[in-house]
Amino acid sequence: MTITQEQRTRTSVHGNPWLPSLHGTGLVMRIELLRRRPSTKGYIAYGLTFLAIIGLGVLVAVLAGSDKTSIPLELVLVLVLGVGFLIGPSLSATSINGDSGEGVLAPLQMTRLTAGDLALGKLLASWAVSIAALVTTTPFLIYAYGRSGWTLTELLLVLAVILFLVLMATAIGLAWSAIAARAVASVSLAHLTSGALILGSLLLFAFTAPLVSEEVTVIHVQRDSENVTDEQWNDPDFDYEALPCVEVEVPYQIMHSDRTAWLLLINPAVVIAEVSPIVNPETFEKDGRAAPGIFALIHSEVSGARLGPEEPQVYDECAGYFGDEDAWQKRNMEKALMPPAPWLGLGLAAVLLVGSVVIVIRRLRVPYKTLRAGSRVA
Amino acid sequence: MADGGGNVVDGAVPALEARGVRRAFGTVQAVSNATLTLQPGSVTALIGPNGCGKTTLMLMLAGLLAPDAGTISVSGHDPAVDGPAARSRVGWMPDSLGTWDSLTCAETIVTFARAYGVPADVASTRAFALLDRVHLAELANQPARVLSRGQKQRLSLARALVHEPHVLVLDEPASGLDPRSRVELRELVRAFAAEGGAVLISSHVLSELDEMVDDAVFMSKGVTLGDSADALVAAARQRWRVAARPGADLHGALSALARDWSPAEADDASQALVQVTDEDDAADLLTAIVSQGLRVSTFGPVGSALEQVYLTMEEDRR
Repeated sequence: MTITQEQRTRTSVHGNPWLPSLHGTGLVMRIELLRRRPSTKGYIAYGLTFLAIIGLGVLVAVLAGSDKTSIPLELVLVLVLGVGFLIGPSLSATSINGDSGEGVLAPLQMTRLTAGDLALGKLLASWAVSIAALVTTTPFLIYAYGRSGWTLTELLLVLAVILFLVLMATAIGLAWSAIAARAVASVSLAHLTSGALILGSLLLFAFTAPLVSEEVTVIHVQRDSENVTDEQWNDPDFDYEALPCVEVEVPYQIMHSDRTAWLLLINPAVVIAEVSPIVNPETFEKDGRAAPGIFALIHSEVSGARLGPEEPQVYDECAGYFGDEDAWQKRNMEKALMPPAPWLGLGLAAVLLVGSVVIVIRRLRVPYKTLRAGSRVA
Repeated sequence: MADGGGNVVDGAVPALEARGVRRAFGTVQAVSNATLTLQPGSVTALIGPNGCGKTTLMLMLAGLLAPDAGTISVSGHDPAVDGPAARSRVGWMPDSLGTWDSLTCAETIVTFARAYGVPADVASTRAFALLDRVHLAELANQPARVLSRGQKQRLSLARALVHEPHVLVLDEPASGLDPRSRVELRELVRAFAAEGGAVLISSHVLSELDEMVDDAVFMSKGVTLGDSADALVAAARQRWRVAARPGADLHGALSALARDWSPAEADDASQALVQVTDEDDAADLLTAIVSQGLRVSTFGPVGSALEQVYLTMEEDRR
């Protein structure tokens, strides 16, 4: 018995490891990709799609002018983000409960593969497929980049952030598929989560506006024309300047959007805009850039929200002061050139990514203590 | 046997052991008290009506489901403490078939071998050997979606054997198999036991289990019936049917021989069920009856011992 005991301690892995390994993750990824390999018909369909996109790219390149514009590139990048947010979670959200239903999950859990191997392998496989779908936009991306005025580093940075956000959305889908017993539920929940991040954050920002708005009063100085009669107005000798100066309180609505601007900053589309290059609206031509495009506009609006309410304009009629005429211009410059703030959004994405993977690993560990309601082990 | 874990070294270590195992799903108590021991080199049947907790028990033995109470040990490894060590010693064949439709049979088996940490070159040789053993070699390069139910079942069996386990846990392996495949399954199971492995097999085809198993564990309402069921099986195995030509007084002859017998068919004195102690005793009995001038046409064990016991057990289908 003692020999057996010693041999056991030496040869077996103690405890119930969950950490992923390179070999295990790679194997699971391979399985997932092999399972999804397209049939001949699939290859033909993909080939035709790819040709259509190239054709479209060539057509647009021929028809469009040669002046610099970043808008086509921005549209492609938004498309890439949107498509990734649709494909990645769609694939991952059926990955665990689907396999469990088909009876192919439990046999894998019996093997030396750890919960981490299964979680990461499935995550990376779904992610890889959604990236493959994005590769088809490459021809258009190259053309659009050519006239965007962006540097290659800027483009690669934005692409990297997009892929990271798609990875997050894919991980959320995978977590839902580990939680929900039915594929219909997990797919819906995955898309609802993506929708909540992309549209929900904007809606919440809009709906919370009344909560952060308040009425302030500003005091203007103006001539007291209250008691001037119509006759006096019509009298050409009437001396307006002779009227006494009075202070008037004027109510003024301001929104402390700086308190809710974080709702905008967690939005994946805003994160993309925040990592894209800053365009100076006055010197862009000299800087070798295109005119401010969609991302510059988003950055500028988000910066406006972050800056909060503008100083109320106070004017003094008697002193001949009618406010700072450059204020609008100054504010616009301040908004456009404000340092970008992608970190909140990226941080949230990282938390959601790690949290999702943790949920998936916990749910995949065997022996199961609790099961998803309404599901079987095998 | 397989990976030098060194657990079959000592015959005293059971290949698989469960004591007082219990498991509930919500309010449903699937298994309330299961105890069984599998010795290396033996085949054990797990028998019970639908819904009595067989599959749940097998999932716990395989190390996929944690019991609420009780202990499980696979060659000395507790699945709850030493998950990978316990699981990699068990070859588990589930009742629900699962195959990756677009992977070929060979790819499937190689992938599982790789998942168990078998080196790539060994994995592919072993895959073809196993596919040959379950007669799927011709379909090795066909995607699993073209397989019939029985063929998928055989693929599932090959998958359960890919890591050379010490213990086979087979949940309804014979369902969907054609008669030829059933015979081969039986041979395969016996060969596995002959090599020192232990097998736990559940099936509803009890007559088939009779020829395959050394031992049987009966289960009813989540409880394994221990010695009482064993005694019933032993008694059933000792019950032989004797039939002489019509008109003969077999009952009188058996009484004269002071045998423990009971009438078989109503009042026909030419047929009877007799208790025998072993095969020698049976041979002696036959000689004695024949020497009394009776013409015996049938002499042999009564049908399936397991089936008899099963039917005498309380009806508790749910």
